[in-house]
Amino acid sequence: MSDLKITRLHKRYGLVPAVRGIDLDVPSGEFTVLVGPSGCGKSTLLRMIAGLEEISEGTIEIGGRVVNHVRPRDRDIAMVFQNYALYPYMNVFENIAFGLRARKTPQDEIQKRVKRAAEMLAITGLLDRLPRQLSGGQRQRVAIGRAIVRNAKLFLFDEPLSNLDAQLRDEMRSEIKRLHQELGTTMIYVTHDQIEAMTLADRIVLLKDGLIEQAGTPLDLYERPATRFVAGFLGSPKMNFIPADYVRDGSGAAVKFADGTALALPRGPEGNRPVVFGIRPQHFSRDPGSLSGQAARVRATVELLQPTGSRAFITFPLGGKPIMAELASHDVQGPGESLDLYMDIGRAVLIDPETGRVL
Amino acid sequence: MTVTTIDSATASRAPDRNFKYWVIAPAIFLLLLVGLFPLVYSLIISFQHLTMTEADTSFVGLKNYAHLFVDTRLWESLLHTVIITVIALPLELVFGMAMAQLFLERMPGRQIFVSLLMLPVVISPIVAGATWRLLLDNRYGPINQIIGWFAGHPMTLLWNVNPNLVYPAIIFCEIWQWTPFMFLILLAALSNVDKSLTEAAEIDGAGYWRVFFKIVLPSIWPVMAIALLIRGLDLVRIFDIIWSLTAGGPGTMTETISIYTYVQGFSQFETSYTAAIAFLVIALLTVIVTWAIRRMGLAK
Amino acid sequence: MSAVETKPLLQRPGTRLAIRYAIAIVLTVIFVFPIYWLFMISFKTPAEIFAFPPKWYASKLQFGNYVGLFKDGDAVSVLNSLILAGTSTVIAMVLGTMAAYSLVRFKTGGENLAVWIISQRMVPPIAIIFPVFLLYVFFGWVDTYHGLIILYTAFNLPYVIWMMRGYIEDIPLELEESALVDGWTRWQVLWRVVFPMARTGLFATAVFTFVFAWNDFIFALVLTRTEVITYTVQVTHYFGGQSNFWAKIAAMSVLGTLPVFVAVAFMQRYLVRGISMGAVKG
Repeated sequence: MSDLKITRLHKRYGLVPAVRGIDLDVPSGEFTVLVGPSGCGKSTLLRMIAGLEEISEGTIEIGGRVVNHVRPRDRDIAMVFQNYALYPYMNVFENIAFGLRARKTPQDEIQKRVKRAAEMLAITGLLDRLPRQLSGGQRQRVAIGRAIVRNAKLFLFDEPLSNLDAQLRDEMRSEIKRLHQELGTTMIYVTHDQIEAMTLADRIVLLKDGLIEQAGTPLDLYERPATRFVAGFLGSPKMNFIPADYVRDGSGAAVKFADGTALALPRGPEGNRPVVFGIRPQHFSRDPGSLSGQAARVRATVELLQPTGSRAFITFPLGGKPIMAELASHDVQGPGESLDLYMDIGRAVLIDPETGRVL
Repeated sequence: MTVTTIDSATASRAPDRNFKYWVIAPAIFLLLLVGLFPLVYSLIISFQHLTMTEADTSFVGLKNYAHLFVDTRLWESLLHTVIITVIALPLELVFGMAMAQLFLERMPGRQIFVSLLMLPVVISPIVAGATWRLLLDNRYGPINQIIGWFAGHPMTLLWNVNPNLVYPAIIFCEIWQWTPFMFLILLAALSNVDKSLTEAAEIDGAGYWRVFFKIVLPSIWPVMAIALLIRGLDLVRIFDIIWSLTAGGPGTMTETISIYTYVQGFSQFETSYTAAIAFLVIALLTVIVTWAIRRMGLAK
Repeated sequence: MSAVETKPLLQRPGTRLAIRYAIAIVLTVIFVFPIYWLFMISFKTPAEIFAFPPKWYASKLQFGNYVGLFKDGDAVSVLNSLILAGTSTVIAMVLGTMAAYSLVRFKTGGENLAVWIISQRMVPPIAIIFPVFLLYVFFGWVDTYHGLIILYTAFNLPYVIWMMRGYIEDIPLELEESALVDGWTRWQVLWRVVFPMARTGLFATAVFTFVFAWNDFIFALVLTRTEVITYTVQVTHYFGGQSNFWAKIAAMSVLGTLPVFVAVAFMQRYLVRGISMGAVKG
């Protein structure tokens, strides 16, 4: 059974399209993350699901019911907003109870549910406080409490962590993950942060220019990106891209870079053509034995070294481009050093430079 | 499965669609009742020949409007209005600006001064006029007494009778009540001027007046323009203070356009003619406001 | 020898501050003196009022002039002003805030409607009072409470809408959206989120709206006869004639001015935003 079904959804502001035909099916209990750069339409999509934006074309079904013309209050959804949207003149208890009061829930039931939500989020001691007396993280918890107390069919999160500092963000991320496991509710989560998407999602829906670029499990998108955009968006540091010539002859497949470097590939499509060769910084190593598949050796002259503790990022030229590789800190001494690197060539992607699609 | 295409016609059936009209409807209704209806109604009667005793509703064309041009008392009252406005408005602005400059820098107890200085603004103009009537009384008022000290002998200036003194009396009262208005707004505007701008200009070697005219004045101009517009409109329709102080006298010497309209309507009972005057006033004000808004660059 | 002592006298910081204080005190005395004089006269006995040369202070606080106003029933005009200004303020605040909400959140009528509404504020009272008077004669509304209440409400609506528009724009949209998702209707959101969120703005605007109606003269002059005379009209009834009405003018004026002073004392922080029609946000 699916809790949310979106069919051919469009949103236009005047003549400007924001969402351009999205189909999406979210199974019950799934944590779906809508991710993409700003302006990709992810927030618009979420707000249409919530009923806060009108639909230009297409349908949205929640729990098997078309809700295009259903008011937000009747959609059986709960939503957590970016700025928490706490009512400054109500204390924490009243903020959490606000949605229950709208539904004329009996007083003792309200007490019970608010108490349970507060325990779940460890904010029981704060129920008498006003929002302005809370820290950013506490406000975030109250905002989430207001959503979970409702037992809604669908939870919507609109970039809920973007106003928190880095440390709190990590903490709240695991908190939300834990909540999802405890509650098992269907959740739709919007973010522009690919790390949040990777860590939280059962499924990532990557949007670009109002369209779904690719949808799948985090690992799917990471390992088997469908387009150059997906490959570049997920992963940090970004995937390296090098323009190359792809050749296939009797001896096998290979790519040739502008500086003459040639790399043999374990497999590849038919025909000779120009391609963009993509390889992640994480798929380099100094020890060919540590790689899962076939290793290709390249000679690297370190131009830049960025240590981050146990790991270090080096930049070196390859095929006329600066390439970044992630190594263990002790594997590299400093700039100017020349070393042999092994590339996990089986995990490289070949991209059609015209269409941007992965071959 | 079939794809449902939602066009704008079905979308307009969405619930809550009419909410935005329901919430604004009562206000619009009242505004039309008291704003638009009188205008339309007076436009109609301005083409008739009604007085309080004459109920003849036949139309007389532009007769009332033609009479406006030969009504010297009307044009004099307009002139009086203009005189008061062009004298009082710049004085209020300059005094208000000077006072704002004085209180701009921090000084202990500043808030007490500001609180006391804001009092005249909220007094009813009728009461302000009455107060000045008491102050300016030729025998028992303190102002003549003080002038007498400086002159060295008792003065009995007849402020609300002497043709040379009635305008100063009105303008004193006007300035007393509304300079604080300018002062408060300009003080707030000046406090909001970005300090780094003026400091940068001073470091570049600009003098006080140069900084004032090139940096400070342009920054506060939008606010100052609105203050001038509000006060200008108030001055053009000045009624209460004059009613209290001179009631338009002596004779018709201080009769402003508002006073004259009132006299025509409610003591001469020239119903239709009053409607024509009211329309002249509205037309003039529309022109002035439109011009002022354009000129001051307020149209956003 | 320190640098301060070598500076010319006028440029020393202490001297400058002293001069600023001196000017500030003189200015404040000039601007407060008329109010002082008004209050003082209201406490004087007739003999003191008509002393020559004028007496600068009342020999003792005596409330005879006020007692007189209550004895002959004139003080009821203050009550009338209170009823008229109070009722019209409440109605104007409710209707105006609703309208402002529609303008802000739904852009109802676009910029044109908003400009039309504020232009209604610029219409001179004298231009509309005459046809309104004729209309009121027809309806029999002259010299009634509801007649003036409707007029004050309508006349203050543009101001309320204009001011509340600014205050409502400051409310984060997400609060309302959150309430909508939580299950409240639009009307409930207006009542339970917008009104409480805008409450300081509501209160400040209400004070100014009240003061405008309270201080009105021209509408009350035209539309009242004997029953609902306001304090401003009552003051002018003492004009002319002999000057023995001075005590009444002063006492009635003070009765009408004191409430305004009290109201503004509470609203000082919002005064500038209020009188500049929102041009300066405090």
